[in-house]
Amino acid sequence: MILDLHSHSVKSDDGRAQVVNYCQWIRKRELPLDGFVLTEHRQFDFESDYSALAREHGLAILKASEVETDYGHVLVFGVTPELALAFDFTSVRLPIGQVLEASERCGAVAVPCHPGRTRVGMCAHVAARGAPPGVRIIETYNGGSRGSEDEQAQAMAERLGYLGIGGSDAHIVSHIGRCATRFYNNVSSERELAEALRAGEFEAVSWKSKS
Amino acid sequence: MEIEELKRKFLNLDFDQREFPVRAEAMVDFATAVGETAAHYTDPNHPEFRAVPTFPARFHGRRMLPEDFPRLGGIPLDAGKAVMPKAPIRAGVTLVGRSHLHEIFEKTGRSGRMIFLVARMEVRGPDETLVAIVDSRMVIREKPAKEAGGAPQ
Repeated sequence: MILDLHSHSVKSDDGRAQVVNYCQWIRKRELPLDGFVLTEHRQFDFESDYSALAREHGLAILKASEVETDYGHVLVFGVTPELALAFDFTSVRLPIGQVLEASERCGAVAVPCHPGRTRVGMCAHVAARGAPPGVRIIETYNGGSRGSEDEQAQAMAERLGYLGIGGSDAHIVSHIGRCATRFYNNVSSERELAEALRAGEFEAVSWKSKS
Repeated sequence: MEIEELKRKFLNLDFDQREFPVRAEAMVDFATAVGETAAHYTDPNHPEFRAVPTFPARFHGRRMLPEDFPRLGGIPLDAGKAVMPKAPIRAGVTLVGRSHLHEIFEKTGRSGRMIFLVARMEVRGPDETLVAIVDSRMVIREKPAKEAGGAPQ
């Protein structure tokens, strides 16, 4: 099962894609995706219900969050109401240790994203201050990466023994599915997604050069 | 000043009010400029003549921000405008736009920390009917300590 683990809809301040249009694009372009995860910036969208849309298009549409920490941006999968109260999702200065600890305690999984990106990626922070304890997975394929940013992430993953996921970081419709993550088992809920990530049963994939 | 303090002090308080007389010629000019060809936008004699939905984008208040809003430093940039039409705008009326700060938030990106200010103008007709909401965004990019090279902040 292949899921794009990093995308944004109009619920994010800089997102320009309606969720329905992601679905239509995936089907129209026959993209090899079984679904995608909406990782809205600095929030978790408890309100939206995409189940009807998911059924209509035969796709898994799951929800997560992208928060901002002192080590750059971090995707949080498996957000629960308890986790939403554990720290301020709107803050741009979250200590990464707090995000990792709270996620672990609440059954979620925190994954630093676009690590090679200037200022908001983890690589430069690790070089300056060392690796934060508790990271197990990072995003090694990001659809918005430039130049050698993904290579830096992959090198850091290899050096520090991190697993890698892929996500498009789509903010517009045509960018969905540029990178994704292949899971060895079926994933149909946010809880199953967090479990599959914890189990390490996945690999990052990229189609960037083909899109 | 911290973002939370700015929110507490400035959000949702009207800081500007201005009247906008709506002339048929201006409606036609705007419709033509944006490429509209439908007669109900371009022909003042059409029985359903009205302004195109984005027409209120041309309305500007006297102030962008409240008078006592602090200088935040950094590099201010126009971050775009959004119009939410609520009711048809007809020629010959005078609309009133009242502005308040609707949202203040910060985010981080490749260029560093940015503060977004969203000024919302509620545009109402003579009978106080809400005809449009216009959001104008300004982003203030924090000047990084080092523009290039070195470890991130």
